[in-house]
Amino acid sequence: MSEHADGGHLPPRSSVKRWLVTTNHKDVGILYIVTALFFLVFGGILALLIRTQMWSPGGTILSGMGYNQAVTGHGLLMVFWFISPFAFGLANYVVPIQIGAEDLAFPRLNALSYWMYLFSGLLFGTSYFLGSSLQTGWTIYAPLNVPTYIPDVAAVGSVAAILGLLLFVASVTVSSVNFLTTMYRMRAKGLRMRDLPLFSLSILLTVWMMLFAFAALLSALFILSADNILGTTYFANEAGGAMLWTHLFWFFGHPEVYIVFFPALGIMAETFQTFSGKRIVGRKWFVLAMALVALQSFVVWMHHMFLTGINLPVKTIFMATTIGISLPFDLMMFALIYTLIKGKIRFTVPFLWNLGAVILFIVGGITGVFLGAVVLDYQFRGTYWVVAHFHYVMVGGATAMFGGLYYWFPKMTGKMYDRRLGLWNFLTYFVGFNLLYFPMFVVWETPRRVFDYSEGFTPWHRVATLGAFLLAFSFVIMFYNLAKSIYSGDPAPDNPWEYGSSIEWSIPSPPPLDNFPKGIPSYASGKLEFLSEEEAIEVRDGTAPSGRGAAAAADGGTVTATDAALETSAEPALEAAHEEEHADHASWWPVTVSLSAFVLFLGLSGIQFQYFLWPGLLAIAFFIAYLGIEGARRDGFASIHALMVGLGGAGFLVVLQLLAIDKGGLGAAIDGASPYFWVTTLGAFMGTASLISMGWESFSLPEPTLAEQWPFSAVGRWKLGMWVFLASDVILFGAFIGSYLFMRVANGWTDWHHLIPAEHVVMPGLINTYLLLASSFAVVVALEAAKHEKRKQLIGWLSLTFALGIGFLINKGIEWEHLAHLSTEAFPEGWFLTTNVASSTFFLTTGLHGAHVIIGLLITLFLITRAWTGAYMGEEESGTIEYFGLYWHFVDIVWLFLFPLFYIV
Amino acid sequence: MSQLRTYTIMFVVLMVFSTTQAMLEFTGLLEQYYWTIFAVIMVLSTIKAVVVAGWYQHLRYEPRSVTYMMASGLLAVVALTTAAAYSIL
Amino acid sequence: MLGILSSLLTAGGWFPVGQAGGVSQTPEALFQQIFTVFVVLGSLVGIVVIGYMLYNAYKYRAGTGRGAEADDSKKVTRPEPGQIPTGSGGGKKLFLSFGISAVIVLSLIVWTYSALLFVETTPEQQESDLTVEVVGEQFAWQFHYPNGETSVNEMVVPEGAMVELEVSTADVFHNFNIPKFRTGADAMPGHTLETWFVADERGNFTAECREICGAGHSGMNAQVRVVSQEEFEEWYGGSASGSNGGAGNGTASNASGANADLRTAATIGGVGA
Repeated sequence: MSEHADGGHLPPRSSVKRWLVTTNHKDVGILYIVTALFFLVFGGILALLIRTQMWSPGGTILSGMGYNQAVTGHGLLMVFWFISPFAFGLANYVVPIQIGAEDLAFPRLNALSYWMYLFSGLLFGTSYFLGSSLQTGWTIYAPLNVPTYIPDVAAVGSVAAILGLLLFVASVTVSSVNFLTTMYRMRAKGLRMRDLPLFSLSILLTVWMMLFAFAALLSALFILSADNILGTTYFANEAGGAMLWTHLFWFFGHPEVYIVFFPALGIMAETFQTFSGKRIVGRKWFVLAMALVALQSFVVWMHHMFLTGINLPVKTIFMATTIGISLPFDLMMFALIYTLIKGKIRFTVPFLWNLGAVILFIVGGITGVFLGAVVLDYQFRGTYWVVAHFHYVMVGGATAMFGGLYYWFPKMTGKMYDRRLGLWNFLTYFVGFNLLYFPMFVVWETPRRVFDYSEGFTPWHRVATLGAFLLAFSFVIMFYNLAKSIYSGDPAPDNPWEYGSSIEWSIPSPPPLDNFPKGIPSYASGKLEFLSEEEAIEVRDGTAPSGRGAAAAADGGTVTATDAALETSAEPALEAAHEEEHADHASWWPVTVSLSAFVLFLGLSGIQFQYFLWPGLLAIAFFIAYLGIEGARRDGFASIHALMVGLGGAGFLVVLQLLAIDKGGLGAAIDGASPYFWVTTLGAFMGTASLISMGWESFSLPEPTLAEQWPFSAVGRWKLGMWVFLASDVILFGAFIGSYLFMRVANGWTDWHHLIPAEHVVMPGLINTYLLLASSFAVVVALEAAKHEKRKQLIGWLSLTFALGIGFLINKGIEWEHLAHLSTEAFPEGWFLTTNVASSTFFLTTGLHGAHVIIGLLITLFLITRAWTGAYMGEEESGTIEYFGLYWHFVDIVWLFLFPLFYIV
Repeated sequence: MSQLRTYTIMFVVLMVFSTTQAMLEFTGLLEQYYWTIFAVIMVLSTIKAVVVAGWYQHLRYEPRSVTYMMASGLLAVVALTTAAAYSIL
Repeated sequence: MLGILSSLLTAGGWFPVGQAGGVSQTPEALFQQIFTVFVVLGSLVGIVVIGYMLYNAYKYRAGTGRGAEADDSKKVTRPEPGQIPTGSGGGKKLFLSFGISAVIVLSLIVWTYSALLFVETTPEQQESDLTVEVVGEQFAWQFHYPNGETSVNEMVVPEGAMVELEVSTADVFHNFNIPKFRTGADAMPGHTLETWFVADERGNFTAECREICGAGHSGMNAQVRVVSQEEFEEWYGGSASGSNGGAGNGTASNASGANADLRTAATIGGVGA
């Protein structure tokens, strides 16, 4: 149905190319699962190294530095590159089916998320070969994370690890935007939010937490990268640096552990229901408890900081909130347990895994209450009590996910796993797990990240080491079982589990490309039906015979005829059916963009400070020229393309000239550049070309004919996606501004003025405010022009936006030049990035904003180029201008706060 | 058309408020009554942001849920900053 | 103010803290008491809940248990493919269990909060016998005494003394902890953080670093020697020998000045058994 030419063609599963270009959510899900298991092995080997080292006190095989790299890598790989991606592999596969959608809202972005994830992990892995890798523990505390305290041999590797993590966060952000847009706009009719299967609900809450939490981590990582590459002095700042990191990291870090655990909770709920043949007890309260925990997760972070210099009142508050968050968990565990009563329980392999997971989670949860008692926490901090606790809860969660893998394996592969092997798998796993982690409670006084422990603890640590190897062996069984079963397992029916009730059990195993061979899923009549296209349209328009669609809730969430008309261009039903057939499923650009990012960040890991700016400037010139080249190729040659090529070429020459001036000749510039400079430049060029091509690629995303869309029904797919993205950008900038405010409080608010030269005055800021406000005005007028199909006006107003933005950058450039090169008594060497904490905060925050402006201007050029050849005309087509406007106005709003905070007060 | 008129009025308001903020510093009022004027300046910025968001970004005319989503993000970072700053006082 | 609160909370006698003014309990004993209660209660709850779950899983198993005859007709509605999910009721039982667990958890926390206040406010309310500045560095512990003496990786304190520690760092984040006496504090850049303990047992004990601080983190241990009062005065008033890198030598005048900072054995009182 959807295998045809024009970039959407999907090769068969046996070909390598298929897996490189696919955008289908099921394929992407499988890619995530397999890749996550790879990182599990990688992180697991590091764990085995740790346990081997701890066979005897004093260590056996690793040096102090080697050991620190092992513990750091183990933590980062497991938390970031294994457990959540594994959950999202399952989510990618299952959630669209469970909600009745054919794919995610933005399939190419979904593939992009995956490839960025893979390459970010590879970049992290590369860090071990660039000297030494990060040695700070996964918590990357300051100031151990800044150049002063990073050993020289680990300088490049540490930055590579940090940038790998940064790329991972980008992947997560794209994923959150995608999942949120999907779950709010593409549910089957009649499936209200509260009706979602519990796994999908848990994923929904997970992605909300991800959206907000990871943006905070992103800001922390940006600042950390700047401290390492550009020499800013946030985290090395004596007065507040260490504390700032702990706040930023744990504000992310606490929601992160729920992000890790929630999918497991969803799987526990699903499997307990399916295998006891009962609906969960108190479903309403279960859902409410989950939602509460998701919200509360953002107000408990200081319990990771009880021993830092925070004051007693705030410790008390966070002790209270921490205990508060344990209560909904109690409720959820009880709900699961009570579900078993009067059940018809079958001890299948997935059920065993989940039963085991609940046991492990209860143990972990109880030991967490210990940590919530602050006076006990004072002694547990930095010891194996914490290690044991979080392994019980987190790996307990992973246990449920392995159960989920077995649970959905028949659906995904069409084959049953081998039950006996599955039972052996579970047994060795569960025994190995407890042998490994329970002794850690006994010898809890062992400090974390230490292999010189008390002599008397040795027998227990040895038991743990043996447990580790048994646990590792259980995975050998697992991989063998799953691999073997794919080839020679018994064929699996549509519903191998009696009492499975969500949509995935009503479709074939494995499902076809577009999921629902029987028709469009709809719950409009009160239970699941598969409607034909015509029937779906009848339901949507309310012309269905009674009984179908009659039960549709009047909650304002239905797709109205007008919305559908807007999105499917108001054609008769037949046309809509054809449109659906044109869904695209393949694109080369996600993997290409991600590879470019890998190359770019690899280069940045080792780039010298003096060369930092130039790859970016060269790439901008290249961008402009490439716009012309690609535009001519795609839209047919027009004068605008020649203009762009000319501009780009001229820009290129200008940049080269500036580089020559800066370094004393082009030859000197080339001689002085390390290989990292060339790698960065290559990555920047590759990325530029791929992004432009991806933007230009025609990729069809049909709207669902019939969908439940509360509360965002009047907001189009792209608009919703843009708003969700902006919500995370709010956190990013908010955390940057918050960091500035925090540092100012830590260093003395009014004393701050001594750190700033008198030459830093209000006027440049005010002029920039005027320019940006005017540019926002220009953008809204441009949108009006586009809506009214006034091509010349559109181009004119967009060009004005561009000009005003350039004005902003030039004004800023002059200001920065002046500040960097002034020479006063207080600041003999000028006032720039590395001078002091005030300059660091000023230049980095306004610099981040400036980068957003530059990106906006590049997009403006893209829009002008396309508008020239006739794009964006009309109410519907002008959408792109509107989405860009949302971004641009956001950038303006950020400046409205930066201006007073950094220039006036 | 009236849309354009609204946009233009908003633009003028934004420019006036921005100039006012700068003037508060220029006239020395800020230095005299620091925290009060600081509050006034931040309120002015907030009003400007609401104007841009409400009219230029069209939030006024979108479903409320979009506004709630953005407001939650803002609330989260304000809470983080306040709590963090308080913790070291 | 917190001291008053602490006193109020201890009035019932049920709470594991002493009265203001005298150190009736050492942090070590306090920790032991609270930890024991938590372990006992926690194990109990864990065993009961997990046991209950396994019991029901077994009882209602589909094979030969109650689950086999469980009818799919009247009492229990089983999920079917394509159904919109509903809860299966049972809210009352859920709330009862939830309520009980909430009461247990909340009581535990309120109870331990008074202990927290005790630990936090005692140094303010009671003058310590000895205050030692502890400075962490990569990868050793410096100890600075009131008389200006410094020792590295060895802290000497007199038996029975209430010792206050002011912990800071010379470089990165560390954490100083003496497991034996259940006392510790972060060594956080930019801060000096306080804690205290009572050296109620003579002997040699270990202090360790509990925050990863670099290649030498593992094994960043110091020795804590608790000696008799006389031996301490000799060590302290003398040249503070037995340590490396000590700044300056003790003189007679130092000795008398130093003794003024210490209470004599007779006046160190109120230490709980």
